[in-house]
Amino acid sequence: MSIRTVRIFRYDPEKGGSGHFDAFSLQIENETTTTILDVLLRLQREQDPSLAFRYACRVNMCGSCGMVINGVEGLACKTNVSQLPPGKEITIRPLNHFPVVKDLVVDMEAFFKKFEETLPFFEPKGADAEPAQIRPDSRERLDIGLSTECIACGCCVSSCTMCRHHEGYAGPAALNRAFTLLADSRDALFEPRLERALASCYSCRTEFNCTEVCPKNISGTRAIKYIQRLALKHARSEPKPAPSPREHEAAPPTAARHAPPATAQPAPGACGQAAPEACRHAASAVDRRTFLRQVGVGVIGLGTALVLGGIATGVAVGPTLAKSQKQWAPLGKLSEIPKGEITTLMLRYELKTGPYVQPVAAPVLVSRLGESLVCFKSSCTHLGCIVRWDALSGRFLCACHGGTFDRDGNVVAGPPPRPLDRYAFRLEGDQLFVEVG
Amino acid sequence: MVQKVTADLLIIGMGAASMNCAIYAHDKNPNLDILIVTKAIAGKGGCSRMVQGGFNVVLNPKDSHEKHLMDTLKGGQYINDQDLALTLVEQATPTVKELETVSGCFFDRNPDGTIHQKPFAGQSFDRTVHKGDLTGIEIVSRMAEQVMKRRIRVLEEVRALELLLDASGQVVTGALLLDIRRGEFLVAEAAATMVGTGGGPTHYRFHAPGPEKTVDGLGMLYRAGALMKDMEMLQFHPTGLIVPGSVVAGALLEEGLRGAGAHLFNGKGERYMLQYAPDVAERATRDVVSRSSYLEMMQGRACPEGGVHIDASHLGADFVLRNFPGMAERCRQFHYDLARARVPVSPSAHFFMGGAVIDTGCRASLEKLFVAGEDAGGVHGANRLGGNGICDSCVYGRQAGKSVGAFLTGSELARKETRRGQVEELVDRLTRPLVRDKGVNPFEVRRELQELNWNKVGVARNAEDLDAAATEIERLAEAVDALRVTGGRPYNMMFAVALDLRSMIDVSRMVAASARQRDETRGAHFRTDFPKQRDDYGLFNILLRRGEDGLPRMEKTAVAFKHKSVEACQSYKK
Repeated sequence: MSIRTVRIFRYDPEKGGSGHFDAFSLQIENETTTTILDVLLRLQREQDPSLAFRYACRVNMCGSCGMVINGVEGLACKTNVSQLPPGKEITIRPLNHFPVVKDLVVDMEAFFKKFEETLPFFEPKGADAEPAQIRPDSRERLDIGLSTECIACGCCVSSCTMCRHHEGYAGPAALNRAFTLLADSRDALFEPRLERALASCYSCRTEFNCTEVCPKNISGTRAIKYIQRLALKHARSEPKPAPSPREHEAAPPTAARHAPPATAQPAPGACGQAAPEACRHAASAVDRRTFLRQVGVGVIGLGTALVLGGIATGVAVGPTLAKSQKQWAPLGKLSEIPKGEITTLMLRYELKTGPYVQPVAAPVLVSRLGESLVCFKSSCTHLGCIVRWDALSGRFLCACHGGTFDRDGNVVAGPPPRPLDRYAFRLEGDQLFVEVG
Repeated sequence: MVQKVTADLLIIGMGAASMNCAIYAHDKNPNLDILIVTKAIAGKGGCSRMVQGGFNVVLNPKDSHEKHLMDTLKGGQYINDQDLALTLVEQATPTVKELETVSGCFFDRNPDGTIHQKPFAGQSFDRTVHKGDLTGIEIVSRMAEQVMKRRIRVLEEVRALELLLDASGQVVTGALLLDIRRGEFLVAEAAATMVGTGGGPTHYRFHAPGPEKTVDGLGMLYRAGALMKDMEMLQFHPTGLIVPGSVVAGALLEEGLRGAGAHLFNGKGERYMLQYAPDVAERATRDVVSRSSYLEMMQGRACPEGGVHIDASHLGADFVLRNFPGMAERCRQFHYDLARARVPVSPSAHFFMGGAVIDTGCRASLEKLFVAGEDAGGVHGANRLGGNGICDSCVYGRQAGKSVGAFLTGSELARKETRRGQVEELVDRLTRPLVRDKGVNPFEVRRELQELNWNKVGVARNAEDLDAAATEIERLAEAVDALRVTGGRPYNMMFAVALDLRSMIDVSRMVAASARQRDETRGAHFRTDFPKQRDDYGLFNILLRRGEDGLPRMEKTAVAFKHKSVEACQSYKK
């Protein structure tokens, strides 16, 4: 029998503030049969019913009770009091990098959003009626091993020092799932998944924190390194990588893709004033792209060129001295815009500002997903990079800072301050016009 | 004013039944607006995720649906709904294949790369598909990803409290919900509602499901007036881990251990199963093993920890660690060595064979209502075979999805209007514990109810105890009407317990009342005052509906032996 002091983080959303710790004293009969979850349940029952924490299965299967116990991430149901230093105070706080809902309960929504970015779902290659015959000692199954047993508890993300600093970093749990699917010969999304996952992998600084804290003994680090090796191997095995057909569909700006090299450099003006952050990223992205191309992974960095083109276009359309004249510019024929999809059309017109006339070409994202027609501007509302529609994730993505918008243009992740802007439009017979200027 | 959300299809719960329903309804008609509400984080709640052993299915040409059906009927002691049992075994085969080919599950393989199937109790063929000994994680994680892929709306940490009805009381219009994080009520209205919350008999001292599973679905269905059946048939799993004082107590050591040859010993070191079931010993079905263990314990032959011992050490430590890593780890956490020593276990409340009456398309007795998984009854009769549970959830979730997808066309897409005043009355009643100045502590009522059910409506029952229990349950029901909850609205876990208790009381009523109606022992229903199975008497189902006074009204109906005669079932030998 022992008496333990337990310090627990408290935050009450009705009171606000930044939270505090409450100390409780608890008599424990047998520390080897008492989990931290038992401690919390008893404190709630016996001392303070307002104490909030999340749990469900209580046997390490659901991943609901991840928290930071004495400074280390773990599941409350899998951590016994006897595993902690004897006689000492126990400190329990919510997972790092997650918004706190109440006390130890965190909001995991952003975590699952990041998961989505690596396309963490199986996509069958064909309509097979029979399960694939794959030997348990095959290379792929040995590689995958028990890594599919991730219970998405968030401990790895909380332990990772990079997740916080890189909004676009998918994090170890998402990359682990990406790895298990990339290694799975049955899955059809190899290339788009690799492209997305690889972009994230370079944010990993190989600290092994995720590996150390995983309650299921899965190594996020191993998964990330696996993806990096896979990219090299993949590039070598395909000497002339071509963008997948899907990329042709989804990538918007033909103008940007064919932009002459000169315009694909960050404009000095943009760097100096509006977007130093963008430029730094863009510059490092160029370096990375150069590096990747040298090792033959050209296909992976395709987005970068689009981004640079996007910034250049933004600048070209952006600052003006005098107010330009509003006008209706033809965009395309309604009958040629497929229903149930988001289509990228090039808008070309002449921008008239006072006496000056300037040709403009800008991609427009035309949505016919719902009942009505919507024409989104392709400029990210953060810093004006070009966003593209990613049909696989069902999101508009901006490659500059990870800005992400849902199909209605609402911000779901990243720095954009407001939803995607929309053009006013009108129809004259079958001809679609948008208002510009 | 309570905020309202609408959908074409409202799905309550997010285990295998609910997610299968969502996926197959979506694939049938991608334009359907589907809304899933779950009281947990998406994909983390429910019992499907906790499935250990595996999924019974006929894949091997030497096996047959006929055999799987007969095993299921024999295991269920003949009172299964034979249509449901037949659909279960026949549809299990495509369902498990689609889990692999559509959702991307990867189950354990034979050396040649075909799917491995392991032995389970009560089966004539080794037909349990599994992923190690923690199969549920694979199934539920992969399905949650498919729900995400299809962009099906999920409201997480939003629990359903009550089904809403139209003015006639015969059409389900949606559900009253509680947003747990904000502590606010919500109304969801839909053109069809699917209840797939899973059971979870946590109103017993020892229970296998996690404590957040609180018979919500069964309670809601009962209060809405749905027709229920066989509620006395509550399975106790024989090997719940004993961990004194911990919430882990009752968590299971999987059936595969007994399937693989583990032995059970009483406190005197005797392999008592050799006496109760000389032919199959520990590989007898769960009802038989639980009852035998319980009798040993009651007769003073319990092990020092209070239950019996399971011993897998003679199978070899390597074998145990390789085949049951999850179970070994679960034991090790509490300093038990499953691979090399005996581990104390006890029967643990596990699964409802009873539930809402459904057809093979999962349509329940009220209009626009579908039920699948553990909330539905009839598939398993008086006892469920290990491995038929996740099979039921997946097969009937899939059935529900296809059926509701076909149902929701034309005029059926219209939502019916909820009876005026129903929401306001409910919100008023449910909020009362939060505004009372003094009242009863919900944690204490829950503990009392758990002890009462364990002692009087548990593994072994008799008329006297059941009568006493019925009275006691009503006393506790009054206490539930006088609960007091402290603290604010957001994430109030004490309030959650108060809300849980409503359903726990209703389900306790159903189980106790039904159990009193069956004067025999059959499957999971063991009566010490009628210790024999009476096939000349007991081949009936108990149908039940809520009466005006809140108590069950019951009626017995004869079992329809539609596909297999009673003689065929009786004479069937594995």
